[in-house]
Amino acid sequence: MKITINGQSKDVEVAADTPLLWVIRDELNLKGTKFGCGMGLCGACTVHQNGVAIRSCITPVSAVAESSITTIEGIGNPESPHPLQEAWIRHNVPQCGYCQSGQLMSAAALLATNASPTDVDIVNAMSGNICRCGTYSRIKQAIHSAAKTVRQQS
Amino acid sequence: MRLTRREFFKVSASASGGLLLAMQLPGCGSIPPGTRESSMRPNAWLEITKDSRVIMTLDRVEMGQGTYTGMATLLAEELDTSPESIEVVFAPVDPAYVHPEYGLQATGGSSSIRVTGEYVKKAGATGKAMLIAAAAQLWEVKSESIKTVEGICHGPGGQKASYGALVELAAKQSVPSDPPLKPVQDYRYVGKFNKRLDANPKTFGKAEYGIDTELPGMVYAALRRPPVFEGTVKRYDASQALSMPGVLKVVEVSRGVAVIAERYWQARKALQAVEIEFAAGEIGTPSDDDVYQLYADAIEQGGDIERDDGDIEKALTSAEKVVRLDYKVPFLAHAPMEPMNCTAWVRDGQCDLYVPTQAPDIARAVARRESGLSASAIQVHTTFIGGGFGRRLTQEYVAEAVSIAMHTDKPVKLIWSREDDMRHGPFRPSAMHRLTVSIDSNRQVTGWKHSIACPRILDHFVKDAAGAVVPSWTPQFMVKMASSMATVVNPDASPTEGALRLPYTIPSVQVIHAVADAGIPVTYWRSVGHSHNAFAMESFVDEVAHALNEDEVAFRDRLLDGEPRHRAVLHAAAGKAGWGKPLPKGRFHGMALHESFFSYVAQVAEVSIEYGQIKVHKVVCAVDCGQVVNPDMVITQLESGIIFGLTATLHGNLTLERGAIKESNFHDYPVLRMNEAPEIDVILVSSDNPSSGVGEVGVPPIAPAVANAVFKATGKRLRQLPLKLS
Repeated sequence: MKITINGQSKDVEVAADTPLLWVIRDELNLKGTKFGCGMGLCGACTVHQNGVAIRSCITPVSAVAESSITTIEGIGNPESPHPLQEAWIRHNVPQCGYCQSGQLMSAAALLATNASPTDVDIVNAMSGNICRCGTYSRIKQAIHSAAKTVRQQS
Repeated sequence: MRLTRREFFKVSASASGGLLLAMQLPGCGSIPPGTRESSMRPNAWLEITKDSRVIMTLDRVEMGQGTYTGMATLLAEELDTSPESIEVVFAPVDPAYVHPEYGLQATGGSSSIRVTGEYVKKAGATGKAMLIAAAAQLWEVKSESIKTVEGICHGPGGQKASYGALVELAAKQSVPSDPPLKPVQDYRYVGKFNKRLDANPKTFGKAEYGIDTELPGMVYAALRRPPVFEGTVKRYDASQALSMPGVLKVVEVSRGVAVIAERYWQARKALQAVEIEFAAGEIGTPSDDDVYQLYADAIEQGGDIERDDGDIEKALTSAEKVVRLDYKVPFLAHAPMEPMNCTAWVRDGQCDLYVPTQAPDIARAVARRESGLSASAIQVHTTFIGGGFGRRLTQEYVAEAVSIAMHTDKPVKLIWSREDDMRHGPFRPSAMHRLTVSIDSNRQVTGWKHSIACPRILDHFVKDAAGAVVPSWTPQFMVKMASSMATVVNPDASPTEGALRLPYTIPSVQVIHAVADAGIPVTYWRSVGHSHNAFAMESFVDEVAHALNEDEVAFRDRLLDGEPRHRAVLHAAAGKAGWGKPLPKGRFHGMALHESFFSYVAQVAEVSIEYGQIKVHKVVCAVDCGQVVNPDMVITQLESGIIFGLTATLHGNLTLERGAIKESNFHDYPVLRMNEAPEIDVILVSSDNPSSGVGEVGVPPIAPAVANAVFKATGKRLRQLPLKLS
């Protein structure tokens, strides 16, 4: 099966019902996307399917064959960070850090469609992502801050 | 093991020819003569290479609490370099990294900065003194004339040398026995540095957690355990599972039946196809009601008196008024975001573990017990940890991984599902509290009696931990013996922590622990005994204030003579929250105050009731944690503790039903999400006291603060967690 991930086409040999999460982590060795609950309840596994945030732990790989998938590794890197990643560091968002890839992917999908999110917009977009370290107020601040950067750049 | 200052550090050989400071260990350490822990840098604390890299070995683990940054900041301060220039590596298992208060290489009790922070500072000061001595020798000047700034030595005549250029000569200097630490007023970073050093890898998906371990030829395992605690496997049929794709083996181990497969998803799927018949174990199939009955009976029967000031019986019998109330808290899961996992590779008489653990030496002891290998044949590779909260002190997941991995010579990664985590524990123990006060005719509180019924965590913990406390060559049968004696020798302080040290001035105080254990596995949970003691105590104090018709802050204040740090945070929080001033319509304030881990915290919760549900709008939190190392990280830890505590306040509940836990995942064990997260305002109350805990101290006061606000909003006293209005 072919899947397109972070702009590259990859061949994977897995059962069609294998959740995308395990294909990303263990076939493609992109470990930034995390396993948290296996039921689409915590958001640690969030990736983008054609720019839309999805839960890869409950998405069979067969459902994304024709799509473009983006993971945390695909939105930015230390040399060329996404504005959200800069804001995440500036606001000291991560604690244990385990959920943050998923948080960032949910936030990136929000900013892609809404460059001026209100508090309510942010809460609505981000309440599917659990953080047991309780970094919610920092996430909110960082999204506002990144949105400002994005608006200034455009 | 306590080290004297004189024998603290020694210069050790560095592979790169740099300066390596290792801990000087007394000869009677826990390693038998002739063996050596195989480590590239045994006992190392600080290495400076010829190209000026500064490498710090972190003796504690990083699970979100910020030790990584805090310790690096302390080292940088004393060494005179920038915290951001320091490379941090996680410590292997070694006696050099044993926590001196616990006797284990464990991270917990919000103690890292307070306890081994001193060692880190000393390593920095020692290294700096030796670099200066080297520069003095090189330039033929006096040491006192040399200044150190950002990793460079400056001589009186304009000479300059980087630390890297001086390391070879520095390594030849004698190790100063007691180099002076910087006075607080000279601090450049401590109390000022606000960055988080591990934020970068964690933001780009590059931080490696245990679950990210990748090894050549690695296979995966999933394990089904008996649904009831202490249950056993009666029989199983793996024929269908064995025919499924990728399945390599189905094996029975002491904790259940495991599928080993080429891929994790294959193992998970095949596990569903294994037919297993389980039997109940020794503890039978208790439900919550049975456990609470056990607690109530234990309280009736008395228990161990742990504090007894004045004459509580006299105070109660001669009282004008007696208030007596019971409080209850349930079993709780830790539910860290990274599920339990361990990669074990057992082959050729050796074992490697790649594991997110809060106590690598217990992981090794557990692996030794399961594999029969010697301690020196077992290597523990510590990783970043995706949330600990105490859960990863208990290491049955390591035992499981090792026992499964012994069935193959390939590395095996065992991953727990979220359901495994919710249902198999170990948990924060449930507990019952009975509080009684006596009030005399002058409205003075004359007596306080607090009975706490709950298990001793140590009874459960020692099963794994004993193997790490005894010398590593101790035969297994003696480890078992040590484990059965440990709680007799060393009583568990956690059931009464925070309760014994009642800050309020009351002439007669009695605190009793009524030991009651239903056999459900329990362990340390963020703030441990404080998490339920503070709820009972601070809810009760509030009720007594109301019984006397006094303002809750003024009432606490008048009982805090001789407790200036409690008073300072009480008034700081009340003042910032606008205590006593009008609030928006429908909003109410509740206060709670609690000392834990040598830090003092007061919280004011602003609450309303919306559609019959409790909504927490804002929390003002004042903390005195002594000398602050990184102000923003103290603030984030308090924010974290409040959110974690709010989950327990509003939602956290595991239901024990016929010997098994009913909840399974985040749909029926909800945790706080952003839509419920209040605004949080943390005030750092300045303090000249030594640094004390921050990771857990935000948790204890939040439940009573909210409960006390709910009372003002509704007139209802909720004496059981989670708080439910109907």
